[in-house]
Amino acid sequence: MLVSEVIKKQMEETGWIRRMFEEGIRLRKIYGDENVYDFSLGNPFIEPPEQLIKALIETLNNPAPGMHRYMPNNGYEEVREDIAEYLKVRYDLPFTKDHVYMSAGSAGGLNILLKSMLNAGDEVIVPKPYFMEFKYYIESHGGVIKTVSTDDEFQLDLDKIASAITEKTKAILINTPNNPTGVVYKEEKLKELARLLNEKRNKGKSIYLICDDAYRKIVFDNINLPNIFKMYDLVISVTSHSKDLALPGERIGYIAISPKIKEVKSLVTALMFSSRALGFVNAPALFQRVIGKFQENSIDVMDYQKKRDYIYRIITEAGFECVKPQGAFYLFPKSPIKDELKFVKIMQEEERILVVPGRGFGKSGFFRIAYCVPFEKLLKATDGFKNIGKRYIKG
Amino acid sequence: MISKSISQSMKGSSWIRAMFEEGERLKKQYSVENIFDFTLGNPITEPPPELKRELRRIALSDIKGMHRYMSNSGYEDVREQIALFHREKTGLPFAKEHIIMTVGSAGGLNVILKTLLDPGDEVIVLSPYFVEFKFYIENHNGIMRLVETGEDFHLDINKIESAINEKTKAIIINSPNNPTGVVYTEEELKGLASLLMQYKQQGKHIFILSDEAYRKIIYDNIKFPDLFNIYEDTISIISHSKDLALPGERIGYIAISPRIKEAQDIIDASIFANRILGFINAPALMQRIVAQFQKNSVDIADYQKKRDAIYDILRSSGYNVIKPDGAFYIFPESPIEDDTKFIRHLQKFHILAVPGIGFGRRGYFRIAYCVEMDTIERSAKYFKEAIENL
Repeated sequence: MLVSEVIKKQMEETGWIRRMFEEGIRLRKIYGDENVYDFSLGNPFIEPPEQLIKALIETLNNPAPGMHRYMPNNGYEEVREDIAEYLKVRYDLPFTKDHVYMSAGSAGGLNILLKSMLNAGDEVIVPKPYFMEFKYYIESHGGVIKTVSTDDEFQLDLDKIASAITEKTKAILINTPNNPTGVVYKEEKLKELARLLNEKRNKGKSIYLICDDAYRKIVFDNINLPNIFKMYDLVISVTSHSKDLALPGERIGYIAISPKIKEVKSLVTALMFSSRALGFVNAPALFQRVIGKFQENSIDVMDYQKKRDYIYRIITEAGFECVKPQGAFYLFPKSPIKDELKFVKIMQEEERILVVPGRGFGKSGFFRIAYCVPFEKLLKATDGFKNIGKRYIKG
Repeated sequence: MISKSISQSMKGSSWIRAMFEEGERLKKQYSVENIFDFTLGNPITEPPPELKRELRRIALSDIKGMHRYMSNSGYEDVREQIALFHREKTGLPFAKEHIIMTVGSAGGLNVILKTLLDPGDEVIVLSPYFVEFKFYIENHNGIMRLVETGEDFHLDINKIESAINEKTKAIIINSPNNPTGVVYTEEELKGLASLLMQYKQQGKHIFILSDEAYRKIIYDNIKFPDLFNIYEDTISIISHSKDLALPGERIGYIAISPRIKEAQDIIDASIFANRILGFINAPALMQRIVAQFQKNSVDIADYQKKRDAIYDILRSSGYNVIKPDGAFYIFPESPIEDDTKFIRHLQKFHILAVPGIGFGRRGYFRIAYCVEMDTIERSAKYFKEAIENL
């Protein structure tokens, strides 16, 4: 056997994604791009903010000597300083450049962090539905994923989390605004979580709260994201500029370590080692320089909110049951027939609408719509959703 | 808080870092220009000017979606351009499918090792070696099996043969070599190929993973042997950190030989590995840039002048050293047995280098001469004094 058994097995688990993807390509060939409604990918079609592109060009027009060379593994000092300034104000805590670690997006950030923290067999609790890649990230570094169901509103279920904690629990990984549900965890739920973790800590068990904050700037209805750093000491946030600055292809983000964590220095040293060992070495140089000054900015969030409003209305009017999301650019409705994989195929075949079955997020019976597409696409798919509703949803 | 295995690995890996920190300390004490820092393979060279122009042009252009995700393997047209380069160079039917864009060669090696290794599989690495190889292999639960090279740092086929067993999955070669600067000859690579072919005939596939990060930095008009035509099961891992001076941008690729029978399986698994290891894709903008610069490189003649200068300095001061054919490293014998002791001795003369133990070979030390010519020239006096005052 040429290819590793381990990777073969991992690939088979997600084989249906590939088959779906191929089916999408087939449909496009038959019906043309404009007649296929692809809501399967979290790959926003919007462009980065104009000022950011200007800053990129300015950086290239005034090249600093050595600007494409290696820098320290944790990134440029001045960039980390800019980000620390922003974090200091935003979270009202004494962040310094030493609490910021530049990473190749949040996927890169999570991997170097997990590699740095996990011993073989250590457990990481992940509320589900969840972004499936978390499982690979945890397993790559010898960890064990423990998924825990959320409630009917996709909010944290504290009793379930409490009973999932064992001697082996090293961290809990949350993602709010959430992929795939679009739900923003409520402040009181996070406070309860902090209380639970503090209880454990008082008994000598330190559990780290890792926050995947990739969607933190995409929140609607003027809600404020709760300040998790203030609620609990052992918080590490992993951020990406893939969504808020629309730079997913450039692989840029950072890790923010709470100033309340005492072992910051040894964690950063371990992160540096992990960056090298895993082959990231450092976050891409050019985009580090560019994003430092854009911490306050983001793409047009109102635009996403309008799309959320529209798709949510269409879906519920068509008869689907769906929790109204308050962030990210996903919707996670209930499948009208129990086997959602079957239902997803029906949508493909009958209306050329492509979505992802809930099992891809550890939650069968639901499906995910990624609405980070041109508004026109949503408009054109409207009849399709309605037709499906008429055919498959009773009453 | 920190993983035990990481704490363990970090202990063994800290040589370059320790030297770097000592350097920082000395620089503060004596000012930068009086310190001769030869520790890091972080070239001072800038990318070729035409590359910088192209980078500006593309950033200014209004190509829609140029910062979005693309396929995990990279842009199709970029891979096609690189495949064309390999088609022309090797005469083999490279297609875009055989090219996977990666986060430098460090990223590329991790991807290919994840693709190939099952727990306990062995990978042969030739010593002295770039220590990170060990971590790359262990990340994916493989075992590194070190094999010494000869006195001249060339392949010792007999030793390689005796290291091969049931568990051997691959051999990593790195030519031009870090830390020795040696370039393996066509003849010795053919020797390696015929050894591996014997195993293949018995049904045992052993891949050559060819880390070609320095492939364009070769001197004296030596021709870089075309490994793809020497051995079927070759996968090369390429970085543009050195040839295009873009180390901070993290861009490179994997080239999978079209002659590998099950190439498609390896391609599919590598694309998947690129995703699940968290690389997702190689940085988008840089992919577009490097595609057009496959034939270009930084000024090699400049490195050759530096190689000549440092080699002459070392020889005339009385160091025992092999003249390197490529890369920007030279690996002299330590005048005293204990290389770490000698490194500390060199520091007294304001010279910073890395002891051989940092590359698995005691009794030597590495000089990275990718620095200003002036630094090399001014260091002559101190190299001499260091050896005279032992």
